Amino acid sequence: MSASLDKVTQTLKEVIDAPIASYFESCVHCGLCAEACLFYTETGDPKYTPIHKVEPLRRVYEQEYTLLGRLKKMVGLSKPITHEELDQWQELVYDSCTLCGRCSLICPVGNDITYMVRKFREGMAVSGHVPDGIRGATKRTVEIGGPMGLKWPAVANVLKKAEEATGLPIPVDQAGVDYLVLLSSMEIVNYPEYIEALAKIFNKAGISFTLASDAFEATNAGIQIGASDIAKVIVTRIVDAAERLKVKYVLSPECGHAYTAIRWEGPNLIGRPYQFEVVHVLELLDGLRQKGVLKVKNKFKDPLILHDPCQIVRRGGVLQAPEALIREVAENFIPVADQQKWNWCCGGGGGASAIHTETAEALRAKVFQIKKRQIEDAGVGTMVTFCANCRIVMEEALDHYEMNTKLLGLTELLAEHLED
Amino acid sequence: MQGPLIDTLVRQGVSRRTFLKYCATLASMMALPPTAGRAMAEAMAASRRPSVIWLPFQECTGCTESITRSHSPTIEGMIFDMISLDYQETLMAAAGFQAEEALHNAMKDNFGKYLLIIDGSIPLGVDGAYSCIAGRSNLDLLKDAAKGAAAIVAMGSCASYGGIPKANPNPTGAVSVSDIIKDKPIVNIPGCPPIPVVMTGVLAHYLTFGSLPELDDKGRPKAFYGETIHDRCYRRPFYDQGKFAKTFDDEGARNGWCLFELGCKGPVTYNACATTKWNGGTSWPVESGHGCLGCSEPDFWDAGSFYKALSTPANPLKLAATATVVGAAAGVAVSFANRAKKDAAKKAHQPVTLADLEK
Repeated sequence: MSASLDKVTQTLKEVIDAPIASYFESCVHCGLCAEACLFYTETGDPKYTPIHKVEPLRRVYEQEYTLLGRLKKMVGLSKPITHEELDQWQELVYDSCTLCGRCSLICPVGNDITYMVRKFREGMAVSGHVPDGIRGATKRTVEIGGPMGLKWPAVANVLKKAEEATGLPIPVDQAGVDYLVLLSSMEIVNYPEYIEALAKIFNKAGISFTLASDAFEATNAGIQIGASDIAKVIVTRIVDAAERLKVKYVLSPECGHAYTAIRWEGPNLIGRPYQFEVVHVLELLDGLRQKGVLKVKNKFKDPLILHDPCQIVRRGGVLQAPEALIREVAENFIPVADQQKWNWCCGGGGGASAIHTETAEALRAKVFQIKKRQIEDAGVGTMVTFCANCRIVMEEALDHYEMNTKLLGLTELLAEHLED
Repeated sequence: MQGPLIDTLVRQGVSRRTFLKYCATLASMMALPPTAGRAMAEAMAASRRPSVIWLPFQECTGCTESITRSHSPTIEGMIFDMISLDYQETLMAAAGFQAEEALHNAMKDNFGKYLLIIDGSIPLGVDGAYSCIAGRSNLDLLKDAAKGAAAIVAMGSCASYGGIPKANPNPTGAVSVSDIIKDKPIVNIPGCPPIPVVMTGVLAHYLTFGSLPELDDKGRPKAFYGETIHDRCYRRPFYDQGKFAKTFDDEGARNGWCLFELGCKGPVTYNACATTKWNGGTSWPVESGHGCLGCSEPDFWDAGSFYKALSTPANPLKLAATATVVGAAAGVAVSFANRAKKDAAKKAHQPVTLADLEK
């Protein structure tokens, strides 16, 4: 046991960098991050204050890298971290943090608390203080290819069905095309209409694309669990395939964490810039809209609100495209108070949706109340989003609260209303 | 010289407006609210000569001189004239038995109401024989007079703390008023001599509000003794820049630099000289080129040479520069140590595998 504790401190010592040191030093203990976190606002429990979720990391920083902390450790005023403590913190770091980044946005001194949680997870992961659900997803991604255990034949089957439905070819492993299309397992299994929508739009815009049989999965459980070495293995598959096929762009699917993984974490994980560009599907669609390629007929009439997935909008920087696109296709778009970068998380990001313990699920349902209020305040029957994970999490929650709100994916909605 | 004070002042050529201005200034000096100036003016103008008994003990008359012998008649002086000073040896026309009779009458007629002003210390040696008036020792007189006093003002450093008579070896066994009287409110107005306006300020407060002003732990009115000479000194910027006169005739002295190194006791002396100045605002010791002696502080006479610097002045700039260098060096050292630690942690990195994820 003590050997793995050494591993924890060793790992944390390694991940504590200049930003983290300055974040801890500049924290003024104002507590504003609590109000930014849906786990705090919906439960009122102060243990969910975001900065508190990285308390063990702060102690390691203090004990290892500050003079006072070293003295305190020497005289026994500052206790080393223990397994019991990490067990206790597992809930705070995984179940109740979706890495949504609202705390980072609100912090008056500019501390990226989400970044700290992400780094703290590295220490949790090496000592096995991780939820079974995320561990399983990570294992399946490494050993089988995707978090849901999907293998290529199953994917190929879905693609074939999409070809039949659309009457359009979906190329696989074709070199020299513009786009390498990535999917998330959730789309393949739960929302295959996304693939059909893409095929239609590409066809309409005259863009060449392909899928890679050895790199179809865009999500990266290694990042969610907090094991960079594993995340690197996963992201390398995509990088290898894209560079082998010599594509110009890699298209991230709607999935939020997939976008973070391939766009923002990827180059840091492999330690060099890509030889291709990463584009989020909404960025591509908005570009087409601006060029006038994306013409819509019979606009969607029902009043609807938009759920901006945290990793794409707030953390990912795709800020303007979603609203421009929804206004293109929907007649009755109703903006909510906390929208775009201020939007509230679905409650299941950052790997949380893979945790299927009773307490984690109850907590997810509880924090969904903030979305529930958004839907009820707007008085709409439809919510549009562009992240498969958000969609699944919210569908479960809508089911839990017996609401009959309709959930739609933005890309599909656009494809459905495209001019022939 | 009977009737309200304002009439007398008018007769002496002091206009109501001048008097109001004076009261407003007094009020602001004592840190009273702006409305207090008018209240003060009204109270004092209508004041019916409160009885004041001034007993001089072992003293040099400097305090009386300070108040009364102003170069030109001041309002302070006039106000002082206007109180019913029933007994003041230096000022009263009466002498001998006549004077003693005046004292006894005043004490009897105004019992419990009169203000008792004491200047000079009280010698206890040889049964108080060092200072006697009409055959009675100062101690005896003080105890007798204090009985009927509403409050006592210890005027000057001698009455407040013992002053020069108490200086080592204190041959007369001199003590202060507060060493003897414990059951009456006592205001100490130290200074050798004290500033006239402080005296009138206390009087004005007493006349206006019927109470003594707020006092500090040494019994001094906070309004006048709240800050050090040093804090209010116009030469303070030179101190902060580390510019000191080294002798009384060097360039620094001619440039008006700080007199700290020449023994100025300003940093440890609480008084209002730097703000009120002396002789009707003409000048004050530091402005005339001599350091503060600290005359309003207890035992100032025995606090070492007037010309010995309090302590080697810290050079704030040098200190700050040194601190910066030391801090930066420590910072660099810590940062190198931390870097080494982090590098070691990086070197020791073992690739994380799926097996690690298991507990």
